[in-house]
Amino acid sequence: MENSSLSKNTIAFGLSLAVTSVINGLLVVAKEKSPAVQSLMKRLIGHHWITHSAGIILLFLVLGWLLAKTNGGQGVKIAFPNLLGTVVGGVALGALIIVGFYLFAD
Amino acid sequence: MNELLLMAHVSFGVLCLLATVWVFVDTLQASEANLARIKWLSRLAASAMWLAFLVGGWWYVTLYPADKAIILKGPWPFAHNLFMETKEHLVILLLLLTTYLPIVAAGNLAANKAARKLTLWVAALIVLLALTMEGEGAFIAMGVKVALLAGK
Repeated sequence: MENSSLSKNTIAFGLSLAVTSVINGLLVVAKEKSPAVQSLMKRLIGHHWITHSAGIILLFLVLGWLLAKTNGGQGVKIAFPNLLGTVVGGVALGALIIVGFYLFAD
Repeated sequence: MNELLLMAHVSFGVLCLLATVWVFVDTLQASEANLARIKWLSRLAASAMWLAFLVGGWWYVTLYPADKAIILKGPWPFAHNLFMETKEHLVILLLLLTTYLPIVAAGNLAANKAARKLTLWVAALIVLLALTMEGEGAFIAMGVKVALLAGK
């Protein structure tokens, strides 16, 4: 018997993946365009890329964990087509921001 | 030793890629018989990617600056300005996707169409990004080589 319900972790971390992917791209633009942002990121852990990576990974984990805890512990509710579109769209947009920036804006 | 570490980075990346392709193919014909293998392979893909990321990250921070200086003086500065710059940030997306893969694949893919479809999409994105990483790595290595050859 086929069903289409997804676990709360699948939905929560899927949404977190989409959001952090876009933030990852925006952070690239911010640190490349603003010497102050890049300098701050260097000072935080010693290298801008380490701060960038650690921050994005931490955001992914914390946001996913928080989204799984909402709604009285049942997690976020979202229809599957919307989740799929958000995950694929978020990752694609995050990648396009990075590639587009280094191709055209840097 | 440093070159071996770089090869380990590439090898773990390829292992991640192969495990993910296997997950994709197994998921296309998911059944009770291959569910355990799909879960195990998705964890293998994630573990391999984390190892590739940590080894590559250490190499990038400590050893790459010397290569970067060589590349920028050579005929292929875009090997750094485009390929390394995009690679070092796209790889974070790849790490997140591979970390997400075992979470999606933890469901009963044989009985759950939505979980199966999401697993296929996530695996496909991983394969696409992993192949991009491998290609960009080749351009970066060639950037060093052509710069050294030009300086002879």
